[in-house]
Amino acid sequence: MAPEAILSHLHRADGSATYTHNGYCVIGAVNGPIEVQRRDEMPEEATVEVNVRPAVGVGSPKERHLETLLHNTLRSIILTRSIPRTLVQITLQVRSLPEEEISTGVNTTLTLLPHILHTALLALLSASIPLSTVLTSTLIAIPSAPNARPATPLVSPTAPELLRAKPIRSVHVFAFAGDGRMLLNESDGVFSFEEWDEAAEAAEEVCCKEEGGVGLGEGVDVDGKEGTNLEIWLREVVKRKVELEQRWKSAR
Amino acid sequence: MPREAEISVNERAFIQEALKEQIRLDGRAFDAFRVLELTFGDEYGVADVQLGKTRVIARISVDVTAPLPERKFDGIFQIVTEFSPMASPAFEVGRPTDAEVILSRILEKAIRRSNALDTESLCIIAGLKCFALRADVHIIDHDGGLIDASCIAVMAALQHFRRPDVLVEGEKATVLGLREREPIPLSILHQPLCVTFSYFEEGEIFLVDANLAEEQVRKGQVIVTLNRHGEVCQIAKYGGATVDPLALLNCTNIALQNVKTISSYIQSRLEEDAKRRDAGGLMAELSAENPR
Repeated sequence: MAPEAILSHLHRADGSATYTHNGYCVIGAVNGPIEVQRRDEMPEEATVEVNVRPAVGVGSPKERHLETLLHNTLRSIILTRSIPRTLVQITLQVRSLPEEEISTGVNTTLTLLPHILHTALLALLSASIPLSTVLTSTLIAIPSAPNARPATPLVSPTAPELLRAKPIRSVHVFAFAGDGRMLLNESDGVFSFEEWDEAAEAAEEVCCKEEGGVGLGEGVDVDGKEGTNLEIWLREVVKRKVELEQRWKSAR
Repeated sequence: MPREAEISVNERAFIQEALKEQIRLDGRAFDAFRVLELTFGDEYGVADVQLGKTRVIARISVDVTAPLPERKFDGIFQIVTEFSPMASPAFEVGRPTDAEVILSRILEKAIRRSNALDTESLCIIAGLKCFALRADVHIIDHDGGLIDASCIAVMAALQHFRRPDVLVEGEKATVLGLREREPIPLSILHQPLCVTFSYFEEGEIFLVDANLAEEQVRKGQVIVTLNRHGEVCQIAKYGGATVDPLALLNCTNIALQNVKTISSYIQSRLEEDAKRRDAGGLMAELSAENPR
């Protein structure tokens, strides 16, 4: 299933997006470029502030960790030097998580990370913040194989799939830029270099392989369409956004 | 952090002059609420309230803890409101604004202290184990009327929520999962709802459910909380405007009308949601409730 995205649906924020995929639902809002506080002001680039808010309770070290990862990744794709001495404020509110999330036994930071990255990117696009590139991200899980043969990695698994494939030996999150370069890698668990290599290849296939990619649908036709990869999905979302914004021009 | 953009002098004068001519900017009557929309998620206890452009999500979660030593027979109920920059860039994380403090105080008084939720029913084993209920209020979009919207959201979420069943054998309690036993609704004693009145022109004009622009112009506010039976739970007044005590009586009457319509709307939405979940009429068979 391809993710669902709704753009620019909040009234107060400069840009906003709601992203729903595999039972995860995240609302993102971006304010920017706005006035920055004196102590955070940087003379030659914009300050990026990321706030991740959990569905239940107040922020914990897990959210702070996610914020750090997001901050570093997003700062590398936002053209901070073209809007110096300003603030780009990104707020991400987790709305719902799949029921089975807690019982899957894998690091919940990593399972949430690709969804949060996508939401942040969509909100940035909606706010028209200058970006150098876009990003696509996915989760790869490698279950432990009972016998000697290597286990096939699960690509962008849902929470019930993870639960069924228990125990999971390692999980990896990869994010790729629009030109196919790797932007972010977070891995957790026990794995060999070969396994990592295989996971990275699988992730690249889902995120940004040009043609002949396996895609998210795993070859299964969804609504008669072929399974598309994430970059094509992202292009579709942006296309719809631009069409909506340019409708004054195309109307006759 | 940038401050909230203040309303300009012209806009302020415009709103005030219009109000003197009995006109609101959005064409509503003075005692009318904005369009209210309430949706429930797939999970139990998530209410998404949209009041005009204001949007609030309330989420109820439950945990098992030890009760407070001075209240051995009561469960714990907590309402958490934290503003995020999503609603307005003027809200800073970790530094509560006045509006946030007032909101959490009013919700505390209106819902918790008016005993809307029977906390004794959350007790599992006296003095040892109890349910700790937690209501998280997320402000997604801010266009005034946060108190009214949050109160509606929390009450709707509480009525929608189902807590897991427990099996108590002596000192041992087993919490049964959603799949093992049909979860049970909370025992709600009454449904208080807040109605905010904004005062203009030294108490001569008052509006129900002001939007953000009107909130910035107002002289004072009176928040009346009552349930649909007309029992007043609390009245709070903020701001400097003087308010005629007799006008307050009038306020409660207007509030009652509004609370009745909102209450019945919440009820109808809850019934619709129950019907949606009750596919094939399984609920009647699964329910452990005895016919009274």
